[in-house]
Parts: sequence; structure tokens; C-alpha cells
Amino acid sequence: MKLKSLSKQIIPIGACIVGLLFLVLGLTKYGFWDPMQGPRPGFYPVIISIGLIATSILAFIGSFKDKDASFPVENWYCAIGLIAIILASFVIGMVPSILAFLLLWLRWFEKCTWKTTIITTIVMMAIVIGAFVLWLDVDFPMGIIYNLIAG
Amino acid sequence: MLLQGFSVVFTIQNLGACFLGAVLGLIIGAMPGIGSLAGVALLLPLTYKFNPTTAIIMLGALYYSNMYGGSFSAILLNIPGDSPAIMTTLDGYPMATKRNRPGQALMTADCASFVGGTVGMLILTFMGPALANIGLKFGPAEMTALLLVAMTSIGWLVGKNPTKGVVLTFMGILVASMGMDTLSGSPRYDFGNMYLLGGIPFTPFVIGTVGFAQVMRLMGERNKIVESGVKQKLSIKGSMLTGHDIKRLLPPALRSGFLGTFVGVLPGAGATTGAFLGYAAQKAFKSEDPLGTGAIEGIAASESANNAAAAGAFAPLLALGIPGSGTGAVLLGGLMMWGLNPGPLLFSTNPDFAWGLISSLFLANILTLAIAVGIIPWLIKILSVPVKVLIPCIIVVCLVGSYSTTYSLYGVIIMLVSGILGYILEQSGYSTAPMLLAFVLSPMLESNMRKSFIISHGSLRIFFEKPIACVLMIILFAIVLVPVTRSIVKAFHKK
Repeated sequence: MKLKSLSKQIIPIGACIVGLLFLVLGLTKYGFWDPMQGPRPGFYPVIISIGLIATSILAFIGSFKDKDASFPVENWYCAIGLIAIILASFVIGMVPSILAFLLLWLRWFEKCTWKTTIITTIVMMAIVIGAFVLWLDVDFPMGIIYNLIAG
Repeated sequence: MLLQGFSVVFTIQNLGACFLGAVLGLIIGAMPGIGSLAGVALLLPLTYKFNPTTAIIMLGALYYSNMYGGSFSAILLNIPGDSPAIMTTLDGYPMATKRNRPGQALMTADCASFVGGTVGMLILTFMGPALANIGLKFGPAEMTALLLVAMTSIGWLVGKNPTKGVVLTFMGILVASMGMDTLSGSPRYDFGNMYLLGGIPFTPFVIGTVGFAQVMRLMGERNKIVESGVKQKLSIKGSMLTGHDIKRLLPPALRSGFLGTFVGVLPGAGATTGAFLGYAAQKAFKSEDPLGTGAIEGIAASESANNAAAAGAFAPLLALGIPGSGTGAVLLGGLMMWGLNPGPLLFSTNPDFAWGLISSLFLANILTLAIAVGIIPWLIKILSVPVKVLIPCIIVVCLVGSYSTTYSLYGVIIMLVSGILGYILEQSGYSTAPMLLAFVLSPMLESNMRKSFIISHGSLRIFFEKPIACVLMIILFAIVLVPVTRSIVKAFHKK
């Protein structure tokens, strides 16, 4: 399944909308120039957003010559996997979520052997726990379950 | 004086500190999301028990070898370990994977880093104070012009379509302008969100745009890549560069060495700007393979420049007490903590310390090269791991790397969103490098541009009155106008 409709024009249209948003907010909310104080917070983004709108129009015109961009569904599995880890982190904590993700992805999704699955998981967990938790003292989320148990 | 410095370094304690700093710098540099600033900051408390000379030797070696380490993950995983390695991904990763020469890609990065670092330190040794004074001549107008040259050149030079490059340059600048206003500190484009008030964090943004986007692209190709595998020999000998490779490496490495040192001296410019300018400058010279397709010249130009800039950054730090980068600021804090006052008198009042540090950088350069070359066979093994096994591992690295810089899931969400954005952009034929460059340099550009306008009361003349700014503006116009004129002339000839 491929999303091909308007795929070539998505970026120029999106860029133009972003440019307009920054331009309007810059002029109306943050200010462009003050005779006494000089450039205001909106000064720089307004100039840049004018440039973005102009170049995105040029990119839009040129986009009709471009090849269609394809976004195969399979490529989005990584994003789904990452979202699953984020959600699981709230419940069981981030480190156990990473452990579960590695085991499930390698064994269930990629059909790797148990040997490959376990070795890869051990190496990655050693990096996460050894470097980030123990050495750098990164405080990963512990999750609702741990917080309930720990009181 | 330098020999006196070497006599200071060659004690067991100082050699050990230099070695430890080099090893830790390589590890920290290779780990996405940490970077030299966090590395030096994390290790600063560990040096409290050392004497100042030993402590600064260790931190200097760490900062320096960090530039080497950043290229490892850039070349092998397409994830820059630190921002100065962003440009290395452009040619490093294609050389390792598409050209199936990972060992040579790593060796090129190591050798170019060594050449750039050596050039930088020789210049630092003989011209340090003079260079620092040149750096002081760069006021807001000159910095604005220089940063415009850096941004415009990459926007025009990366990718086949300059318009797309410029669109993403502007996008990167706007994304960077979210959060706080650089001068007044007032909230800007935060959309009422507490997290956006702090702006878009750089490391998760880079990890997502480059690393996670790459993983998404790899998903569809993972089974094909497994079949081809990496045929590179797992040995140092098998990773050696040929005479022809060295001939290709040396000119860009030497050029970028000089350019990078000069950029490193400039206040706030740092190794990232050095690497971008080194790579952009290489476009003006002949490369055997087109840049961006795995060209040795591309890796050499960016890696040499970032190491040279790291060396150059010590000139204003030691000679004037002005840090050239965030890492320099932490090092300056360390110097003050140890009761040393960097400035013109440092070389006369504490010669052991000043020359000991410079000598230790020479030593760290050699030590890091030896270690970096020695571990190439183990590093290449990463590429021999089947892609389907590597993908979940890279996802985990992206996750923990982005979390560890923000200590919240906000960083992870930024990484995810920027990863999806990077994937859509790359699939649509947009190179994300100009956006990253613009994102890094934008706060500096805005601050200098606004200061210039405040000084000149809104007049553009400030950019043309001073000789340095005027020359840079002429270069800027040439970068913008030459390709446009060339394409018009081409179109005219076709008709």
C-alpha cells in the first residue's frame, strides 16, 4: 500500500503553511521592529518565514517534475514499535519495556533464533544499564507498577 | 616551550590521565546523545582530586578525542555521535554501506581527524595568541556574514535541487526559533506548551532526523541487505587505505585543517560550524566521486575541520579567557575552579600548565589515532550484524540517547516526530543536512544579526563598512548568484 496522492507536493505545501503561521504570529504577537529598541522577537522569524513562503512556492512549482514519493507501510513499523515502548514505559518502566521490545521484536517479529535474540538482548541491555543507568546515572521512568509497589 | 610542556606530560599520572581522557572521549563521542559538552561536564567532578595540570590534560584529551568518536556511529549507523559529525554521515555511511568499504571509511575519518588536529595544534602552538586576537575582530556583523555564508553554502550545495535545500534551511531556522527569544528571553512560538517553552532540544532532533529516519528507510530493505552482507575483512590490514586513497584524503584534510582551526578560534562558532564549512569548501574542489555518495574527500574535509576547530578553540580560551563553545565554557569554569586565570598572562605565569595542555593535545591526538585504528575490526563487526537485528538495536539507542539528554519522554517524542519528518523529507528527495545546519547555527545567527541592527540603528551598511564583513558578504552573494546565473546561461544556451 502506497500513499501517492499529492506525495510530491506535501513538503512545499506544509512548508508554506508553517511559513504563514510563523509570519502571522511574528507580526501580530511578537512584534517586528521598535523605533527605540530595534528588532523585536518576531523580527528574525518574520524575515525567515517570508523566505520560506517564497521558496516553498518555487518548490511547489518544481515538484510537478519530481518522481512520486512512496511511503511503504512496512517502514512505519519502527515508529509503531517506538510508540509501544513509550506507552509501556508508563506502566512497567522504560528499561523493562526495552527488554520486552527487544525480545518480542527479534523473536516474534523477525523470527530470529533464540541464540541471536538472547545475545543481542544481553548486549543491548548491558549498554543501556551499564552506560546509561550506572555510569551516567540516567533516571529512566519506573512505571506505575513499580511506583505502586515502592509506595 | 613545547618541549617543556612534553616534559610535564611525560609523567605516569599525566600519561594515564591523557590515555583515560582519550578512551572516554572516544566512547562518549560514539554514543549518540551525549556529546563533548555533557562528557566534559560529567567528568569535571572526577577531576577534583587531580592537580590542575593533570585534570585539564584529561579533559582536553576527552574533548579532543570526542571528535574522533563522533564519526564512528555516523559512519556505521548513520547516527552522528555529536553535532560536528553530522556532515560525516553524508559520505561516511554511503562509503561504509553502498561502497562496502566500512574499514576504509573509518580509517579515512581517523586519519583526516589526525591531520586536521595536527594542523590545528601546530597553528595553536605557533600562532595561538595572534589567532585569538583575529578572533576578537569578529564582531556581530562579521559573525552574521560568516554564518550566512555557512548556511547558504550548505543550502545550495547539498542535494541536486538548491530550492529544496533552501526550503529546509529556512525550516530549520524556524524550528530553532521556537522557545525563548535569544536576546530578550521572552516566550516565542511555544503555542502555550510548557515543554516547547524550552525550545526543541538539539540532540533528540538530530537523532530523530538522521538516525531514526534512517531506520525507517532500512525497514523495507532489511531482507535484501541481509543477503548481500558486508564483505569487508575484519582486520586492520583489510581496512588500510591505498596510496590512491591517501592522495585523495590529504588535500581536503590539509585545507580543512587550516579552515577548521580558523573557525574554531571564532567566538561561539565551534567544531560543528567548522565541519560544515570544511565540507562546503570541498564542493569548490574536485572530488573523484560526487560528494554525498561515499566520497573520501567528503569524510576527510568534515572530519579534519571538526578536529582542527576543536584545537583552534583552545586559542581564545587560553590566550584571552574567552570560550569558543559550550565545552570551552565548561573547561573555562574548570580552570577558574582550579584557581587559574586564562588570559595573556597564563603563558608567563603558569607555563607548565599552558604548555603541558598543548603538549597533551599532541599526545592525545597520537593516542586517539592509535586506539581508533586498533578498534576498527571490532567496529566493523557492527555492520556485519544482519540489518534485521540491527534495527531494534538502533531504535533502542535512539530512544535512550534522546531520553538521556532531556531526562523526560519529551525528548523521545521530539525524536519520534523529527524521525518521521526526516523520513518523509528524505523519501520526497529533500536532504535533511541543511535543516540540521540551520537548526544548530540559527540562535547564533539571530543573536548576531539583531545585535548588528541594534548597533547600526537598523542600517544594512554595517555589513559593508567593515572589511571582513564586506568580503564575507561578497562571498555570500557569489554563492547565491553564481549557480543562478549559471542555470540561466545554461537555459539560454539550450534555447
